[in-house]
Amino acid sequence: MTQIAIVGTGQTVHSRRRLDVSQAGLAREAVTEALLDAGLGMDDIDAVVVASGPAMFGSVNQPEKWLVDALGARYKPVVRVTSGGGTGLAGALQAMNQIKAGLARRVLVVAYDKLSEGALQASISTLYDPFWGREFAVGIMGFSAAYWRARMDKLGHTEEAAAMVSVKNRKNAMLNPKAHVKKEVTVEEVLASKPLCWPIKLLDVPPISDGACAVILAAEDDAAAITDRPAWIRGMAYYSEADNGPNRSMLQSVPLKVAAARVYQNAGVTNPRRQFDVAELQEPYTCFELSYYEGLGLCPEGGAAELIASGATEMSGDIPVNPSGGCMGANPIGATALIRLAEAAMQVTGKAGAHQIGGAELALVQAGGGWANLRGVAVVGATKD
Amino acid sequence: MTTTAGLPREVMGAMDARLSMPYTLTAGAATGVFLAELAQQRIVGTRCSACETIRVPAQDFCGDCGGDAHDLVIVPPSGDLLAWTVTDQGTVALVLLDGTDIPFLHQVVEGDPAALSMGARVTAVWAAEPQGAVMDLMGFALAPSEPVHAVEEAGETATPIEQLNYQMVLDYQHAYGHFYGSLFDGIKNDRRIRGVRCPSCRNVLVPPRAYCEACFVRTGDWVDVPDTGVLQACSVVHIEFIGQRVPPPYVYAEIVLDGTSTRLIHTVGGLSAEALRSGSVHPGSRVQAVWSDRRTGSLSDIDFFKVIDGPADE
Ligand SMILES: [Zn+2]
Ligand SMILES: [Zn+2]
Repeated sequence: MTQIAIVGTGQTVHSRRRLDVSQAGLAREAVTEALLDAGLGMDDIDAVVVASGPAMFGSVNQPEKWLVDALGARYKPVVRVTSGGGTGLAGALQAMNQIKAGLARRVLVVAYDKLSEGALQASISTLYDPFWGREFAVGIMGFSAAYWRARMDKLGHTEEAAAMVSVKNRKNAMLNPKAHVKKEVTVEEVLASKPLCWPIKLLDVPPISDGACAVILAAEDDAAAITDRPAWIRGMAYYSEADNGPNRSMLQSVPLKVAAARVYQNAGVTNPRRQFDVAELQEPYTCFELSYYEGLGLCPEGGAAELIASGATEMSGDIPVNPSGGCMGANPIGATALIRLAEAAMQVTGKAGAHQIGGAELALVQAGGGWANLRGVAVVGATKD
Repeated sequence: MTTTAGLPREVMGAMDARLSMPYTLTAGAATGVFLAELAQQRIVGTRCSACETIRVPAQDFCGDCGGDAHDLVIVPPSGDLLAWTVTDQGTVALVLLDGTDIPFLHQVVEGDPAALSMGARVTAVWAAEPQGAVMDLMGFALAPSEPVHAVEEAGETATPIEQLNYQMVLDYQHAYGHFYGSLFDGIKNDRRIRGVRCPSCRNVLVPPRAYCEACFVRTGDWVDVPDTGVLQACSVVHIEFIGQRVPPPYVYAEIVLDGTSTRLIHTVGGLSAEALRSGSVHPGSRVQAVWSDRRTGSLSDIDFFKVIDGPADE
């Protein structure tokens, strides 16, 4: 089976509202940068995967039909993948599968959302069953806050611990030229910020962003010909669980654990805390980063508060998490998971600039969508194995 | 607790639902100029610098060659009718404007549709009072003697319209089906909540469903479920958002009704400001439904859940 590498990445500068471009124009910006990074043109691309959030976000159904024109992709295979906050990673997995199946050798994945255009929480609430929950849904925020509250009691995920995630990620975003929000905060400021869905407060929440990301994946021989610094994808998986199946506690994400186990096995990872040099985790709210530390085995269950307090996940720690700033730096939802993958590739190829972790060779990526019932994991390395 | 379901009183057909969403859409630079220039009764297109294709409305990107370099051009308001179809909202038409390469999708607004023919000459019909939107060009009308005009360079153009307000209103009728129909018939008419028991894992599932997700076997008996339960998780909602049913602050709640193993999403109400502030409602709190005077056949038939005394179920 051919191995697959990331040979180019690109991102827009993310911002609250891009008035100067259409949705398609936003996607094109990221693609242009990714092609430049790889030294390729659209003629070199065999297939395109478009990844974007719910159509309700931008009021455009089947937006991939717009993107065919904007990307110069006519007469190429173009499909769209959507999976909430995990959309970008689900799109990358679709590209992997095309290459593994021998259907394509070089696949462009472009992920975007232009969240300034629609009503975010109301749009997200339409993901709920219209009979069962939609009437009282608060986007994903009510749900997320509720299970953080439950994890406080059982796992010690305190407001202070989550505030430290906000402080760390916002500090890291200062070094990321693509970040949308660049403002440092203190633990006290996070704790004192306005409650939105308590315990979630304003500074536990990422910005609402317009932005796009593009990643070019290539089969082994192509990757070696395109670049001398490919980022090898050592494993990638995306798993689900039943939304309202019986006995779902949601204190820990089962699909996250299943995905991590599968990917770690593929990548030969037996001690994630020691083996990974850096991690990019998609944290739609601060509380999720704490939960993922545990689900990904970076610390034992109930150990997340201690891990963040130890400083180990800061830039200078032994397992830096989100040197890009994560979602706290920018959160164009459909793109955010692909940004995590792109940032991981940048880290292991030494292209991360001011937020580079020195000598990073093995990177962990996590992203997910739905009501925590869709979870993906990937491992990216500087070497094939 | 196991009972026979009893005969439903009412056949639940479909639940009406409306999604009404405001948008602020961005047109992009070239299309923004096209929209702005309609007020001057000028139709702006783009000529691709790479392949010379002329598109109208003006586009940022050339769909033929993928190029983004172009010149803005003024396209004549006249052309040939390529195709049309008569709908109850008007006559939708593809018009190939003079000198362009891509047909323009719009409508024919005047005259008897029976008089239309393939290749017929048409000319633009303009709104008397422009609104800064695509309908400033109302459409096209037959103009048999209209000569063929040439595309011209645009020269100075208006400042592009960057953002358009748009309201999307979508009406749905969600079919209840057998399981939701039986549940909401019971809720509406008898204030009775019913689930189904999985014959394999023995869990009681609410809302009732045909298959157990965990075992993927057909569910078995109908089971009456009390309107009391335990908060599995809860948060205090302070934000306001479009489509919100309850004025904040209130408690968002994921409730496991007694004897069941699934979640019901609702709110906890009847709380003092102090109770909301202190977060005294917590996972494990016992709650009971407070039924509304409404009988809608939805979860809104429960006004909210109230906290009741009882042992916290950890
Ligand atoms: Zn062209
Ligand atoms: Zn079962």
